[in-house]
Amino acid sequence: MYRYDEFDTQFVKSRTAQFREQVVRRLDGRLTEDQFRPLRLMNGLYLQLHAYMLRVAVPYGTLSSDQLRQLAHIGEKYDRGYGHVTTRQNIQFNWPELVDVPNILDDLAAVEMHAIQTSGNCIRNVTSDPWAGAAKDEVEDPRPTCELLRQWSSLHPEFTFLPRKFKIAVTASENDRAAIRAHDIGIKIVRNEAGEVGYHIYVGGGLGRTPIIAESLNEFVSREDLLPYLEAIMRVYNRYGRRDNKYKARIKILVQETGIKQFTQDVDAEYAAMTPADVAVGPEELKRIAAYFAAPKFETLSDKDEAFDKAVILDPALSRWTQNNLGQHRKAGYTIVNISLKPTDGAPGDITSEQMRAVADLADKYSFSELRFTHEQNVVLPHVKRADALAIYKALQDAGLADANIGKVTDIICCPGMDYCALATARSIPISQAIAQRFADPERQHIIGEMKIKISGCINACGHHHVGHIGILGLEKAGVEFYQLTLGGDATETAVVGDRTGKGLSQTELIDGIERIVEFYIETREGQERFLDTYRRVGIAPFKEVLYADH
Amino acid sequence: MSSLKHKGKGPQVMTANGLRQGPVVYMRKDYSWSTVFAEALQTEDEAIIAAMGEAAQSASEANLIVGAYFIDIDPATSEPARYRERFRMNGPSFDPGRPTHIEHAEKTGPIHLSET
Ligand code: SF4
Repeated sequence: MYRYDEFDTQFVKSRTAQFREQVVRRLDGRLTEDQFRPLRLMNGLYLQLHAYMLRVAVPYGTLSSDQLRQLAHIGEKYDRGYGHVTTRQNIQFNWPELVDVPNILDDLAAVEMHAIQTSGNCIRNVTSDPWAGAAKDEVEDPRPTCELLRQWSSLHPEFTFLPRKFKIAVTASENDRAAIRAHDIGIKIVRNEAGEVGYHIYVGGGLGRTPIIAESLNEFVSREDLLPYLEAIMRVYNRYGRRDNKYKARIKILVQETGIKQFTQDVDAEYAAMTPADVAVGPEELKRIAAYFAAPKFETLSDKDEAFDKAVILDPALSRWTQNNLGQHRKAGYTIVNISLKPTDGAPGDITSEQMRAVADLADKYSFSELRFTHEQNVVLPHVKRADALAIYKALQDAGLADANIGKVTDIICCPGMDYCALATARSIPISQAIAQRFADPERQHIIGEMKIKISGCINACGHHHVGHIGILGLEKAGVEFYQLTLGGDATETAVVGDRTGKGLSQTELIDGIERIVEFYIETREGQERFLDTYRRVGIAPFKEVLYADH
Repeated sequence: MSSLKHKGKGPQVMTANGLRQGPVVYMRKDYSWSTVFAEALQTEDEAIIAAMGEAAQSASEANLIVGAYFIDIDPATSEPARYRERFRMNGPSFDPGRPTHIEHAEKTGPIHLSET
């Protein structure tokens, strides 16, 4: 994992000290709220519907067991004993008091964490594949690239006041687990015919009120050229991005209005006009960064483990967990453990301090002390010996974290919605709960197979509903919540924005309607078709019919 | 954003967030603030409403509260008319396994804020 260098440490420390001073000045009135608000936002502190909310950055979702333990401590000491994993692979605390926040930031700094650039019109936390460094299908570990981007984009003076916030995601696999094409810039690490590793750059993706899937901008940017090329994109955006209208300020609108062809030319012209060497980072530095992500000392093992295989045969629950929650590791005898934060009776993405400690202990014992948060609001132990999976499963059962539903209908992405968020138009958590309870039967979930339901409590789409197989958007009219459905969305390498079904539905109509959609899919599917495949084959019409059957 | 001028209909209540701790608070009869909605001053009297506006302004300047604004009250229920405000009053609606907003408030006790 990346370790802070002295500069990072000093910087974060002084930033925290500054904030402590700023809070004092706010409390005694030397700073007004108008003056203070941007300062607190720059440190990740929002004022939400009920209280302050602190968003802590987890760079590319990677964290150590000690860091998770510190988050557990913060949750317990300063909050209400839990945190909430977000779709940006960060963690939020919902109830901190302003007077405590400087202490929280100190505690974070003690484990090389902070809340900088989790708000504002800057380049936000770079997100990535939660299986980075472990996935069997990756070209290389994407995190050194993420870390390079983090260092480049952190406090970059030119990109501190962009027209709007800016999100970058990096993957190194054909199977996109980082939803890169839903980002302002999506980067796919690829190998060209000559065997060189480089970057396929996508631009202009984003959800929100105008959902757009990123377009391919350049199929191969070499390693040395990555930063200069990205810098050229940022300059074009900074220059031409619409500052006159907040709703048109994201780069996706610029790309749409300019057209990808012209936009490409603009970027190329900008690139041609700059001196790449001023921005580029040499191979020495890349090597230095990559060294932080050196693979752990894996043992030479076999994929065969009779004791485990036998246990799986004997225990259907364990068998389901093995099937759904374990990912293919690139090393024989190892596996990736995906821990679900989607119980049938809890808010998606919430994790208690106690559970954080339990997971941190498991990471220490079985996964080289490494952990990941996923954009689907789950946790990953990336490097686990298959032989240890059973012990982990048992420990997770004790911690209430053994739900075997990864990728299934109850593994729902869900934003905080009206239960917490000041911008919400409707609740989202109770909807996810109602769906989870309706489909609680694990056998039924197994029969349904892969299904991605995503819920947002307003048009800002933090719950990624546009790219859910079933997407749900919560709205309100005259004090009554209602829900709009989209079908057929996809956040992966075959990304597409879902189609709106039409008229909004009440919560009860919605849950019944979804059940009918699911039943219809099961009746209609051919062979191994996933919901998405069936939807693509038969189109929206029959699904609409069953959805509105009781109207 | 927040406006200290009320444009609403029917009875009014003044709400804000406490600056130091952040909780949702309501203005009481004596122009102090409480986390308990039942303690909120509800009135249709324009003179009192004007005085509430001034008191909120003063409490903001005294760094007691942030983001003060009036909310409409439904006379039939004496509760906030707007849906969003009912969530601010009641806390998260679905938090299984955790103390509810009300249980939490009972445990920690109400917070009262005043300039004196
Ligand atoms: S989608 Fe809307 S309600 Fe949900 S977290 Fe984002 S801003 Fe809040």
